[in-house]
Amino acid sequence: MATGFKTWQCENCGFLYEEEFGLPAEGIAPGTRWEDVADDFICPNCGFAKSQFSMIEV
Amino acid sequence: MIPQQIAHTIVDPKAYAAEKPVDDAFTWLRREMPLAVAQPDGFDPFWVVTRHRDILEVERQNELFHNGDRSTVVTSKTADEKVRSMMGGSPHLVRSLVQMDNPDHGYYRRLTQPYFLPQNIRKLEPRIREIAKSFVNRMAEKGGRCDFARDIAFLYPLHVIMEILGVPEVDEPMMLRLTQELFGSADAEMSRSAPADENEGLAALMATIADFVAYFNKMTEDRRAHPRDDVASVIANGTVNGQPLGQLEAMSYYIIVATAGHDTTSNTTAGALWALAENPGQLALLKKDMPACMPLFIEESIRWVTPVKHFMRTATADATLAGHKIAKGDWLMLSYPSGNRDEDVFDDPFAFKVDRTPNRQVAFGYGAHVCLGQHLARMEMRILWEELLPRLHELELAGEPRRMEAAFVCGPKSVPVRYRMQ
Repeated sequence: MATGFKTWQCENCGFLYEEEFGLPAEGIAPGTRWEDVADDFICPNCGFAKSQFSMIEV
Repeated sequence: MIPQQIAHTIVDPKAYAAEKPVDDAFTWLRREMPLAVAQPDGFDPFWVVTRHRDILEVERQNELFHNGDRSTVVTSKTADEKVRSMMGGSPHLVRSLVQMDNPDHGYYRRLTQPYFLPQNIRKLEPRIREIAKSFVNRMAEKGGRCDFARDIAFLYPLHVIMEILGVPEVDEPMMLRLTQELFGSADAEMSRSAPADENEGLAALMATIADFVAYFNKMTEDRRAHPRDDVASVIANGTVNGQPLGQLEAMSYYIIVATAGHDTTSNTTAGALWALAENPGQLALLKKDMPACMPLFIEESIRWVTPVKHFMRTATADATLAGHKIAKGDWLMLSYPSGNRDEDVFDDPFAFKVDRTPNRQVAFGYGAHVCLGQHLARMEMRILWEELLPRLHELELAGEPRRMEAAFVCGPKSVPVRYRMQ
């Protein structure tokens, strides 16, 4: 089983992308690593770009 | 040009209190004129942005569509002139995050943003749960009948945000009254002096703001001398580009936290219980599978109530939106209730569904100005419902609920209910 999932946060609105859970509503399966999320991904909460997410410790 | 009857409805506080006239007006607009110009008598013309996707498109482009260039709330020409004459040419009575654009918006938002991020507010959960439990106990002690808006929904988020801000409990009733005067200035029951005309209304609003300023000036002095772990200390001692916050900006920061920090959550909470009382099947569905339904129910409550009815934006350059030419300087009304009833985005949008998914509600806005307190608002609501719903066995309306008369921030002001609780 894959471990070491990370959490990424939108710097604008605080939205969290948790690799463990993915974003099924956006077509991103649970377990999808941040680097495998498409480059044109935008924050579903505020529209900011993938480049404006940063990894955080929760 | 939008027909005058509809143009008047979408700026009429009484129409928002009744809700159906506004829903009908925006339903017609989405179908017939989804992006068009309105000019109610006494107002400058403005575009009315009714579709979900067009609202996101405007909010996403915060350099092209500014907040601060003209009033952020739809305002008559008379009121606009009066405000500008009092404020040295500015169209705003306050200068909070809402009235700012970059670079100031970014600087000022970053001051308090860390406080409101999920990883920080998570630390507040035990304390917020204690507060929620006390309000649920209070509801149980009411003996099966209360006005849920006045007895619970107005007071619970108020208490939470005042603890975060650092306002003592004894001052909470005053903060609630000032908030209701600010957002309910058009409502005779809520306003300071039941103003007879626009001039009196503006004077009452200025008096309310003056009371806030007097209070928060004292708080600034105190927190500069004795900083604590609260948001007031962040505002009082914060710096932007190495300088303390300006007086207007600091006072406006306190005011937005002390008003928007509870009123919208109160409105949503009261409106959600109203919807559950009217839809017993939805209440049963929610209680049957609370863990799975809870996040969906909260998003649906926010969509359903949409307490912020609009914000205005001003084009900084010629632009094209949904095939229409928008000219530099044009004023645009972003109608959030309309976006949240958009038939192209929401199935059966006038139905309250606790398990609605997907739910891309736009009540918190979008883009750089998306609501700073959204994570706190969701957490407060989740905790209250987690404490209340398992104890709530019967619920029905015990009278006609009523909304505040307001075209900007509007929600229930009375939700009389009968219930049985453990």
